[in-house]
Amino acid sequence: MELWNHCENPYPFVPNEVLEQAESVRASLPNEYCDPKIVAQLYDEILDEYRLCDDIGLHIVTNEHHSGINNLWAASPVITGVVANITRNVRILSLGTLITVRPDPVRIAEEYATIDILSKGRLEIGFVKSGATEMVSGDANPMRLREREWEAIDLIEKTLTTRDGPFSWEGKFFTHPHVNIWPRPYQQPRPDFWAATSDLPTCAELGRRGIVNTLLFGGYDRTRQAFDAYKAARVQAGMPAPGEDRFSYMAFAYVGDTDEEALRIGQKIAWFLTVSIKSAPQFSKFQPGAVAPGMAPAAWRVGAPGRPRPTNLDAEVLIGQGQMFAGNPDTVARQIKEFRKRVGGICHIIMMTRQGLVTHAEAEASFKRSAKYVLPQLQDLPPIDADETAWAARQAAAR
Amino acid sequence: MSMREILRSGPIELEVLRRRSAQDGAPTLLLLHGINPISPQAPFLDLLAGHGEIVAPSHPGFGQSPGPDDRDTIYDLVHTYLGVIDALAAEKVTLIGFSFGGWIAAEVAAAGHPKLERLVLVDPFGIKLAGREERDFPHLVNTHPAELERRAWHEPARRPAGCYGVGWHTAIGDAMTDDEMKTLARNWDSLCLYTWRPHMYNPQLRQWLHRIAVPTLVLWGGSDRIVTPDYGRAYAGLIPGARFAAIDRAGHHPELEQPAAFVERVATFLEVGSSEGSLAP
Repeated sequence: MELWNHCENPYPFVPNEVLEQAESVRASLPNEYCDPKIVAQLYDEILDEYRLCDDIGLHIVTNEHHSGINNLWAASPVITGVVANITRNVRILSLGTLITVRPDPVRIAEEYATIDILSKGRLEIGFVKSGATEMVSGDANPMRLREREWEAIDLIEKTLTTRDGPFSWEGKFFTHPHVNIWPRPYQQPRPDFWAATSDLPTCAELGRRGIVNTLLFGGYDRTRQAFDAYKAARVQAGMPAPGEDRFSYMAFAYVGDTDEEALRIGQKIAWFLTVSIKSAPQFSKFQPGAVAPGMAPAAWRVGAPGRPRPTNLDAEVLIGQGQMFAGNPDTVARQIKEFRKRVGGICHIIMMTRQGLVTHAEAEASFKRSAKYVLPQLQDLPPIDADETAWAARQAAAR
Repeated sequence: MSMREILRSGPIELEVLRRRSAQDGAPTLLLLHGINPISPQAPFLDLLAGHGEIVAPSHPGFGQSPGPDDRDTIYDLVHTYLGVIDALAAEKVTLIGFSFGGWIAAEVAAAGHPKLERLVLVDPFGIKLAGREERDFPHLVNTHPAELERRAWHEPARRPAGCYGVGWHTAIGDAMTDDEMKTLARNWDSLCLYTWRPHMYNPQLRQWLHRIAVPTLVLWGGSDRIVTPDYGRAYAGLIPGARFAAIDRAGHHPELEQPAAFVERVATFLEVGSSEGSLAP
């Protein structure tokens, strides 16, 4: 198995009274509350964490969100280019720039080809559908996101792999009459693609295309269902079974010297869920396309205005749901192995550790323990019971 | 008599609400709805039916109308309604557009149709007047529903039962049925498809309003703070010969808040238009 470090670079420095009064901590919170000197310090710290990861064998994930306290990486390709330049060894996944927000997928392909050259072939390209406040910050129509995402992926793939251009593209969402990027990517024919989704039809399409399927905090059951849909689609298409390297999972993670220490620090990660996702109803449940009309009554009747947000998400609850790996190194290795078994096999674990109120020093300590004590326990694992996995895939295909 | 039917125009099928007029030879009134289809419970319908035959389709993707599939732009709606006017049996049609439907009606009238006899615009969106750093109206999707409701109504309590206007989300509660919510969600999704960018206006329309060649009445809720009466006066000023009138104690939906005053204004316009053939400003 492989371990990856993902940091959203959050900004937990806005006074609580401001956050309490704001209708949303994303999209509409004025940036007067964002001190660029603090941000510069955070950038330094997290880039140092990436240098450490490069030395000790943890791969690196970058992403982007916009206009909010949850994430200060506003341009994933820019940051990924920096990471490519300050590292030498590990793989780098951009998960990713917002392809449903950005107007020109050809430009995105150019940026990724550039990073692939800079990193000498260490780039992985990740796709996210996006939504919610990102549509507001990027002035992107929240409707027909899935169709737009697939057209963007198709155009990016063709841009990265065409060698006898220029070619022309006149699609539903994107047009570009003259596509011919220089440089082309370092990896041939292109860097590997990843996509973050738990939507079962989308997982099936990822399966048919061989794109790495990653779930974000999906827990045991949703993750298993997603991976089964992926495998079932390949069975139905007469394609070979996927390797575990096609599956990935992002969870909160903290590796402590002791279980007690890990739980205490892991609890600080929950800020992500209790504070950083506060969003106005027009950016969330009432956003067009957020729920299918048939599901609107259920979505709208719950979470009525004034209902308090969760403020006490216990680390042990998150661990029980398979959304957090936390403990001493042996505990975390055991949790990950159990997760791998319950989801039918997985290669990539993306650890979200520097999150919420977790400090630079705490994060680095966890990374060192992850690399030194956890990662070795995840090598050369016996294969997942092939019969059990195949049976689950057949069951999913029958559904 | 009131019924919902299907209206066909080429490949397009639209759910349509009709109110027959008791009056022989009454003019045909084609109503283009705002952000939600016109409710059969809207009190102005019976009053207006005294002055004309009402045909009120639901736009593609709204109410029970199919779509919008790939016909998902204002251009498509304009051609949809030019086709609907073709399909109506009447020789002459008066077009009445409300809010978002007012924008569509202005576009249709600017494009022109030989059967179009008169135009009524009620608090329409559709054009850009203010500078590039000022909004003419709030972003309907990105603004808190409570703020939209505050701006949309003179007195929210006057909203007739079963009728939902701008800020409708605030009415979600036990009194709203699941079916109503599903339809409102569908309407909201479709509105967003058609209008996201530029939001609720066509930057080109302003310079083509001079093409509107039929008598035009621009009606405005005097308390409309979604799209203000000043915007309405300027809008009317761009349409040759158009008459502007404000309705007191009404917001963005004067037909819902002041149905009698609304119908009286429209009826007067219909009578003057038919007796004089055209309207002086």
